[in-house]
Amino acid sequence: MELRKAGLKIKNFDNIKNWIASVIGAGLRSAMPVLTYPGLSFTGGKVRDIVTRSEVQYKCIKVLAEKYPAVARVMAMDLSVEAEAFGAHIDFNDDEIPSIKERLIHDSLMINKLEVPGIGEARTSEFLKAAKLAAENISDKPVFGCMIGPFSLAGRLFDISEMMILTLMDPENSHILIEKCTRFLKEYALAFKKCGLEGIFIAEPAAGLLSAGMCGEFSSAFVREIVDYVQDDGFMVVLHNCGNTGELVESMALTGAKGLHFGNAVDMMEILSKAPSDRLVFGNIDPVGIIKNSRPDRIKSEVKNLLKKTAGYSNFVLSSGCDIPYGTPEENIDAFFEALEEYNMK
Amino acid sequence: MEALLEKIAYCVEFGKINKNAPYPPDMKGQEGADELTKQAIEQGIGANDILGKGLIKGMEKVGIKFRENKVFVPQVLMSAKAMSTAMEHLKPFFQSGDVKRKGIFIIGTVAGDLHDIGKNLVSMMIEGNGWEVVDLGTDVKTDKFIEMIKERSASFVGLSALLTTTMVNMEKTVREIKAQIPGINVLIGGAPVNDEFRTQIGADFYSPDPQGAVEYLNKYVT
Repeated sequence: MELRKAGLKIKNFDNIKNWIASVIGAGLRSAMPVLTYPGLSFTGGKVRDIVTRSEVQYKCIKVLAEKYPAVARVMAMDLSVEAEAFGAHIDFNDDEIPSIKERLIHDSLMINKLEVPGIGEARTSEFLKAAKLAAENISDKPVFGCMIGPFSLAGRLFDISEMMILTLMDPENSHILIEKCTRFLKEYALAFKKCGLEGIFIAEPAAGLLSAGMCGEFSSAFVREIVDYVQDDGFMVVLHNCGNTGELVESMALTGAKGLHFGNAVDMMEILSKAPSDRLVFGNIDPVGIIKNSRPDRIKSEVKNLLKKTAGYSNFVLSSGCDIPYGTPEENIDAFFEALEEYNMK
Repeated sequence: MEALLEKIAYCVEFGKINKNAPYPPDMKGQEGADELTKQAIEQGIGANDILGKGLIKGMEKVGIKFRENKVFVPQVLMSAKAMSTAMEHLKPFFQSGDVKRKGIFIIGTVAGDLHDIGKNLVSMMIEGNGWEVVDLGTDVKTDKFIEMIKERSASFVGLSALLTTTMVNMEKTVREIKAQIPGINVLIGGAPVNDEFRTQIGADFYSPDPQGAVEYLNKYVT
């Protein structure tokens, strides 16, 4: 099947505002899976190459853009890049996204002494080079950069469990740390924008572990600062949260992000009923249990069921609940898009 | 006696560690699980009652509230801290044999995986329900699991994984543990894991939340 020909014909968008309107008004369902690492099966190379070499990351995005009719592309999700820029030590692995080896900061004194790094530190420069290559060479659909959210970054620097405790025991220093993370992320998002991308995908997984109230205080308020700093008619923010409750929707919507992306722990119908209709809402096929580890017929069935259930919501965009991992069989990704096409052909 | 034990349970449920702890704000300046447990021992309340009717009761309530999305990870961590602080006072009773745990549970994140929040939550909830937990940490090799299960004669082991690549290691670890220790009961958990995967790799139990693991283990308590 020539999947490339099967997708939506939303092309030559003049700005992201109109692109959003065209997706909502297309009359056909569209998809934007978080898909980069499986591109390695076409380009060769290892996960380590994607996260350390800009040209490898770009080639993966490009080859997937040519093969699959996604309505937009998302750059590689590696949530260690920003912590490394702050000085965290990273554990690299050929086949897996890098991990943080140990916490960088241990107490309030270190929080207050922490310096905000400049853009270009550590591997941020490689990610920005990849962004520039993608912006220059992929022109038919929007390309979104990808970065961690402020609360999740604070958790990476301070240790996520300790950060959770800090929010309750010492909210003042929690705010100081998250504010420093936000200051860096605002400039990092702006750098992606200056590369010519159409948006930024902010992954804020740790906020999904908080109550709605705490999510608002320790995540959404800071994400809002990033949104206000970079989002306009030419550049959008997509905010990802993989919490397990629909209660977070309101808090996420208050950030002003034009796109809201959800993990597979939630019921998309509950989410869509609560989300503003002028925002694009993305979700939420299980990237591991279904897309990586199931057979193509099961994937097709899950995708079609989700599309059928959400048919009343024109602002819904089919996606994976999170990053589709390296090693996902090509036929499984084919099945994801084939199901979309078959649904649209009905 | 009952009133004091109820207070201890309340402090654990709401994460009140001690008098100096600023959390929760509406209990500021009040005594916490630390002081109240000490008082209970001084008043001659049995350690078994302090554990069962105070600490464990508080943690059970937290586990249920967590499953029902009434509290979230930060609150659970505070409850676990309150519990562990109080448990320090009970250590001598465990050492003397006056108080017995429900059993031994070995836990760790599998080889290649450095993530620990899920493991920590499960570990805290199980310990908080009266089990002795041996936490081997992260990036634990199969040999280490096997060595510790044999050394402690444990009947239950929990494996955690967050990464899709380490799910593969989880499978190898389960199969090796089962081959060397046929009677062992293996529990698995982690964001990418589900019950289908559990069946596929031959593990005994999967739960999407810590309380599920607690309830599973407690079925084996006679």
